[in-house]
Amino acid sequence: MSIVESAHLIDLKDLTMVYDAETEALSHLNLYIRKKEFVTLLGPSGCGKTTTLRLIAGFETPSSGQVIFEGKDITHLPPYKRRVNTVFQKYALFPHMNVFENVAFGLRLKKADEKQIRLRVSEMLEMVGLRGFDKRKVDTLSGGQQQRVAIARALANRPEVLLLDEPLGALDLKLRKEMQLELKNMQQQLGITFLYVTHDQEEALSMSDTIVVMKDGLVQQIGTPTDVYNEPKNAFVADFIGESNILPGLMLRDELVRFDGRDFACVDKGFGENKAVDVVVRPEDVKLSAPESGMLRGVVRTVVFKGVHYEMTVKTQGFTWLVHSTLSEPVGAAVGLNIVPFDIHIMQKGD
Amino acid sequence: MKTKGFAAPYVVWMLLFTIAPILLVLCYAFTDSSGQFTLQNFQSFLDPIYIGVLFRSIGMALLCTLICLLVGYPAAYFLANRSFDKKGVLILLFIIPMWMNFLLRTYAWLTLLESGGLIATLVNWVLRLFGAKEEVRLLYSYQAVLMGMVYNYLPFMVLPLYTVLSKMDARIVEAAEDLGANRLQVFLRVTLPLSLPGVFSGVTMVFMPAVTTFVISRLLGGAQFKLFGDLIEQQFLFTGDWNFGSAMSLVMMALLLISMGLMNRFGDKEGGGVF
Repeated sequence: MSIVESAHLIDLKDLTMVYDAETEALSHLNLYIRKKEFVTLLGPSGCGKTTTLRLIAGFETPSSGQVIFEGKDITHLPPYKRRVNTVFQKYALFPHMNVFENVAFGLRLKKADEKQIRLRVSEMLEMVGLRGFDKRKVDTLSGGQQQRVAIARALANRPEVLLLDEPLGALDLKLRKEMQLELKNMQQQLGITFLYVTHDQEEALSMSDTIVVMKDGLVQQIGTPTDVYNEPKNAFVADFIGESNILPGLMLRDELVRFDGRDFACVDKGFGENKAVDVVVRPEDVKLSAPESGMLRGVVRTVVFKGVHYEMTVKTQGFTWLVHSTLSEPVGAAVGLNIVPFDIHIMQKGD
Repeated sequence: MKTKGFAAPYVVWMLLFTIAPILLVLCYAFTDSSGQFTLQNFQSFLDPIYIGVLFRSIGMALLCTLICLLVGYPAAYFLANRSFDKKGVLILLFIIPMWMNFLLRTYAWLTLLESGGLIATLVNWVLRLFGAKEEVRLLYSYQAVLMGMVYNYLPFMVLPLYTVLSKMDARIVEAAEDLGANRLQVFLRVTLPLSLPGVFSGVTMVFMPAVTTFVISRLLGGAQFKLFGDLIEQQFLFTGDWNFGSAMSLVMMALLLISMGLMNRFGDKEGGGVF
């Protein structure tokens, strides 16, 4: 169940950020974020995702464009006047304060009374599972615990938006999975907007309401996790989100495409006739069969056991396919490959 | 430990030139001119004249340290500011005077401040514009000595402060802003507390030499303006009472050890500094 409201909380209008004359860290970004939405900015390093976050937090001022918050232009408002709080990548806790004082920092600045501060801080520490850690020095905590303090500190101020800059990047895999779940639960329970920055596509897919895929300061695609995964707009998105077979094809007409030396029925239309396109097929959508009943024939080149499935490469006449299957075939075996129309995704040819 | 031997030259050096002289000072301090044990040297130190000089020295050193801190902190803060791109040149300007012998620099002040010197002429010219009749004498005054001390010791304040401030994590400052702190609040609640180790180092490095100053006071303060260091020098070089001089040196050393111990206790709480 989605709790996202339709009202826009933040509107980014034509944001451009230029650090030095040659490179645009961010190029004409337009994006809206709705109330209670979990939005993830996803992309490789240098794609502009952290810059976007810093512009919303107010640490930087855009070269051009506007940041609108609840209808008001806050482009030039200093960070301390914005109703957003940030969870930093390396936590950035105050080393000269204990856990309690770290979480209480924002409340003390607001001159809340001591009783309220105590109540709020213990509420926050309870929520992040750090009850009784009040008096601990922050440098005696593990990475995961420090991250929890950072989250509690940011949420203690009751922000409208929580900005998270690769918050789980420094944690190990198991802890990361746990925190992903916890963060998602917190977001739902508190009913506040999360803007999450990550380069981890799996993290983005499992937590977000909306994913914004970015590259070189440009938005590549905005959509729900299922949209972005199943209907990638271009080869970059397809390649970045999950593993993919991306190969050149020729759109013969609506719902018929030719690639790897054969014509395939598909469900896409509107590309015109005899147009060069990119074809994306997810590895788990390529089904193995006996050679004689396959739409394509090939030879198994490599087999790697991945736990849940086997990852195989199969060389056909014109392409080397990546195939995920729960059953393995030995290296050198002749196999057939089958793809159903629904699993074939057609994309405009990229640049 | 196999590397123990590497410390040998240093150990010998320490024994010859630090430990042995201190033992000598100890011996002299507790004996009279004929070599008999006595506490007379310390007793004569209790004379109000000497005590007065001691307090004047401490007072001046404290004032000098305070001025260095008030001038040096903003300077270090400014230099450590990352958005400022000419800082290499400025840091060099701070350090260059330190390459020169401090006696030479103090002599330079002598010529600048003496009657007819560049600064003295300038100041009097400005004062005359405002209707002053008498010529103001700059040299051989309390202010001249203080000026010379601040000038000589300021870099020792700026450098440790600069080190601490420039190592500070910019994200921590951003985190404070993010949580609602304006620039003043960020400074008071985050930057200043985190820079305290640098403050303690700077204060120690300025206060120690300042309280034992003697050449600066003699050159810029003249004969009538004595500090504790001058008093000790006088006992050794002119009066020839090594026993009394040693006793006063011991008092000074005890004073320094106590203040250093105090500084270290504060410094440790904040987790070190440049040392």
